[in-house]
Amino acid sequence: MVEVTVAVRNELGLHARAAARLVRTANRFQSSVRLERIDGSLSADAKSILHVLMLAASGGTQLRAVAEGNDEAEAIAALSGLFETGFGELEL
Amino acid sequence: MISESTAKPAEQRWHGLSVSEGLVVGRVLRVHRGTRHVYPARIEVGDVAGEIERFRAARDQARTQLLAIKDRAAIVMGSDHAYIFDAHLLMLEDRKLSEEIENYITLKRANAEWAVKVLGDRLLSVYAEIKDEYLRERGSDIEDVIHRVLEALSGETPTYLNLNEDAVIVSEDLLPSAVAELDLAHARAIVTDAGGWTSHTAIIARGLGIPAMVGLEDLCQHARTGDEIVVDSYQGEVVLHPSRETIQRCHAEIEKRSSAHHPAQPRGSGIAVTSDGVQVRMRANVELPAEFAGVARFGALGIGLYRSEFLLSRPGVMLSEAKQYQAYSEVAALAGDAGAVIRLFDLGGDKGGDSVIDSERNPALGLRAIRFSLRNEAVLRTQVRAIMRAASKGRLDIVLPMVSDVSDVMRAKEMIAQERATLESAREELGPVRIGAMIEVPSAVLTAARIAKVVDFFELGTNDLVQYILAVDRSNDKVADWFRSLHPAVLDSISRTLQAARAANIPAIVCGEMASTPAYAVILVGLGATDLSMTPSTIPRVTRVLEGIDSRDAVSIAAECLQCATADEVESIVREQFQTRWPQLFPPKTLPAKRVGC
Repeated sequence: MVEVTVAVRNELGLHARAAARLVRTANRFQSSVRLERIDGSLSADAKSILHVLMLAASGGTQLRAVAEGNDEAEAIAALSGLFETGFGELEL
Repeated sequence: MISESTAKPAEQRWHGLSVSEGLVVGRVLRVHRGTRHVYPARIEVGDVAGEIERFRAARDQARTQLLAIKDRAAIVMGSDHAYIFDAHLLMLEDRKLSEEIENYITLKRANAEWAVKVLGDRLLSVYAEIKDEYLRERGSDIEDVIHRVLEALSGETPTYLNLNEDAVIVSEDLLPSAVAELDLAHARAIVTDAGGWTSHTAIIARGLGIPAMVGLEDLCQHARTGDEIVVDSYQGEVVLHPSRETIQRCHAEIEKRSSAHHPAQPRGSGIAVTSDGVQVRMRANVELPAEFAGVARFGALGIGLYRSEFLLSRPGVMLSEAKQYQAYSEVAALAGDAGAVIRLFDLGGDKGGDSVIDSERNPALGLRAIRFSLRNEAVLRTQVRAIMRAASKGRLDIVLPMVSDVSDVMRAKEMIAQERATLESAREELGPVRIGAMIEVPSAVLTAARIAKVVDFFELGTNDLVQYILAVDRSNDKVADWFRSLHPAVLDSISRTLQAARAANIPAIVCGEMASTPAYAVILVGLGATDLSMTPSTIPRVTRVLEGIDSRDAVSIAAECLQCATADEVESIVREQFQTRWPQLFPPKTLPAKRVGC
């Protein structure tokens, strides 16, 4: 199991478009991938857009990403990359 | 009843939230949200499997529709907005949701409609609790998807509306896909009963630059298609059945605003002057008729890039010369004295054109742009005839997309010359047309000095340039970390191309995303660019930044960047230098973020 803390860096948060990118990415891996609120109050399957949207993660929110499976490291790397670049929405 | 045809109904006013400014007088076009009434029915055990099948068929049909809408939205609203439909597709494809619906059908022996509605409502109720306004508004996406499945279950197909010139769209709340299905190029304004600042209606109206108001409560119950209506989002007011006096007052106000706006607007010049007096031309990139208004509104110096393939939005249908002539004449009129640069069709590759082209294994490196036009001569000849004829109405230039080297240019120029000769002998009225080359592939960068000798101007397409120089497909998430506009190899390519243009004494226009982004625009100016073309709405922002800098500072920063080995190094120089020199122009968020672990 691999676990990492990520931050939602784009201003608009995990809205539909960003969530779509996240879910498409998560689905490329065999491992199970979950996103959780830091306080543990909500946990979402990162492969389901409805779950991800339910996290209601606005800009600035911190989340825990957890992957488990044979390609767990790659999955986490890909996901944290997306968070890092604000889903391509950081105003450059 | 008799009075209905003779007396005009009395004026009625509504107040709401203005989400996009403007004042228009038009006629109502009611767009129904299509709320549908769904009733529960108990089905026989033996019918459960059939009911599940019915649900799956409806879901697949909805999926096919969404794929088509997504393509259309990419053309009409730009790929940014089309992404939203990717989210819709994912919702439809969501395995858990489908499972839950199918379980509900099985366990409750419910009809498919009822199961979809119950589970949809359950999702929506969770959404309604979300505190963040922007995210809460996304509930409308779920509603949209549910509605689409219910529609498919009912066996109905959605109707597409053609708008009149003066249509004011009035709806309870526009669902995102309805917005994509409408021909918004002709919409004058959008007003809805529900919605907030960040609703789709608001975002899209601002993008199109048309007035919009939301939160009008019960306007829909009173407005009928064809009714006269005034939308004044400066005052936050909608007037239904306006009196003659009200209409006159509005026309006077519109007149006053347009005359007060244009000549007096300091931004209207289309030229940004840096603090040390360097002039930078600010032109507009345009593809949609809906964007045309922005050219004047944002004070662009004509059109630096007209993406003509938009005209071919219907797959596989080539446009007649007459239709093209008409379209280019409009573009010429719109661009005014500064003129417009028409990029010949960039077809092939991933850009659509569909049935004309067989699929290729590697479309970005395939038969696209000028290669496609050279291979399909009739396409090129028809297009240049239309452009040369339209150029008699106003200033138009041609730019050849994706040339590899001098030979592509020479072949295209030969065909253009032949067509000109034919038209001249037929005594057609023609205008002078300059011919330029898009420099966007490495071979063109490396031979730019030679290409510069055979064309009248250069145009640097930075989007494709970054993709080809770095060999990174920008639509591929897996390699997103390698797509770096500020890579030293990209900057060097831009610098060489601009130098080649200067040496040959021809102009070079830089178009593409880089010019639209203030921090990048400064680097472009530092590399010697004095002619930029961008999305019209970004012109004021980029102008403001350029007017706040000394170009000599930009030159020295750019020179330092050219010495770097990696994009990370360039970005860190940009971050440090910009924040030190121009902290008021570049708050940290506007600068490239520091990358970790790549």
